[in-house]
Amino acid sequence: MLKVDRLGKKYSGRWIFRGLSFELGLGDRLVILGRNGSGKSTLLKTLSGLTERTEGTITFPEGDLRHVLGLSALEQSVYAQLTVAEHLQLTADLRSCPARVDELLQFIELGYAKDVPAGQLSTGMKARLRMAMAIQAKPKLLLLDEPGAGLDEAGRNLVDKITSEQAQRGCLIVATNDPLERRLATLELQLAD
Amino acid sequence: MNSNWQTEIKAVFLKEWRTEMRSLSGILTSLLFSVVTVYAIGFAALSTKLHGTVIAGMLWVALLFSASSSLTRSFLVEEEQGTADLLRLVARPHAVFWGKALFNIFQNLVTSVILSVLYLGFTAATVTMPWLFVVSLVAGCLSLTGAVTLCGAIAAQAANRSMLSAAISVPLLLPLVALGVSGMRISLGDGSWASGGMASVVGLIGYATATLATGPYIFAAVWKS
Repeated sequence: MLKVDRLGKKYSGRWIFRGLSFELGLGDRLVILGRNGSGKSTLLKTLSGLTERTEGTITFPEGDLRHVLGLSALEQSVYAQLTVAEHLQLTADLRSCPARVDELLQFIELGYAKDVPAGQLSTGMKARLRMAMAIQAKPKLLLLDEPGAGLDEAGRNLVDKITSEQAQRGCLIVATNDPLERRLATLELQLAD
Repeated sequence: MNSNWQTEIKAVFLKEWRTEMRSLSGILTSLLFSVVTVYAIGFAALSTKLHGTVIAGMLWVALLFSASSSLTRSFLVEEEQGTADLLRLVARPHAVFWGKALFNIFQNLVTSVILSVLYLGFTAATVTMPWLFVVSLVAGCLSLTGAVTLCGAIAAQAANRSMLSAAISVPLLLPLVALGVSGMRISLGDGSWASGGMASVVGLIGYATATLATGPYIFAAVWKS
């Protein structure tokens, strides 16, 4: 489903990571571990195309990348003036996929906040919204950056539910420095400092 | 243009509309600038009969700064608030550019019409060719929006965004201002259609077409870099 071959990223003359190769198939759940600044988030951004790679190749599952790939990252912002439902409608219209607003809100347990502007959401609620937007198109490859950050126990259970569901339709990469999130892994990758 | 493109452009337009209507930051900035400019010019020229060229020049200065103060923000704000990555993941660059450009055209037309009516009222100017004034204003708005939106879109990717935006704007906007002032000047009685009015209108329409047609391609080239 995903093949990464000798991937490298250089910033200001320093290699963040280099020579990274791995392959993921259906049901694989790769957890990337490493200290702060080791390049976990940069790796996810490089895989998603938000940051250009310096060298190497990435082979994605076939199809429109807007449908094939979902990313939920801690530093990803939402529009303060738009409501939760409007966010899901916006991303669906832009991806040309079904919005599934009620279904997704029920899944992420945010139905009560459907018409609340995102600027009034708590950190945990925003994290749930980001995850809903990431899984909306039922991507074959899901990238989660620190998915448990800012979430309570119910939120962490939701992450477990999302990762289990994702493993049935594709593969998953989680970047984290939380040792508890190693429970999500079928494969691990430790980034060196 | 197929239905997907229409849906995507409409989605970006609606997003711009909703965020602007709920924050009013761009429209209020433009209107505030417009009202203060008109008041200042009107007060300064209280007992003076202004020449058509001066009136046209002053009006274009007001239109230019009113547009520059708000329209360049539409792309810069996505980068500053960290929402640009969300758009990059789910949207095609052409849809983003067109959705934002169409909203900017709407916003600029509304503020320019209000600004022009107030301005003509305060300066007691006589419009001898109203149709030329309207055509110059509309074509000028389209050109101005195309150029300013394009500058904002290119500069948004840079580290020093505001400075780059200003630097790109100067060479792009100078010929536009010359064309716009020329068309308005003639509509205010300082010249004739044959002596420059037609050239100004054709120039403004050509300028608008060029910036709006090439804008999405230039934006697409810098969108993910």
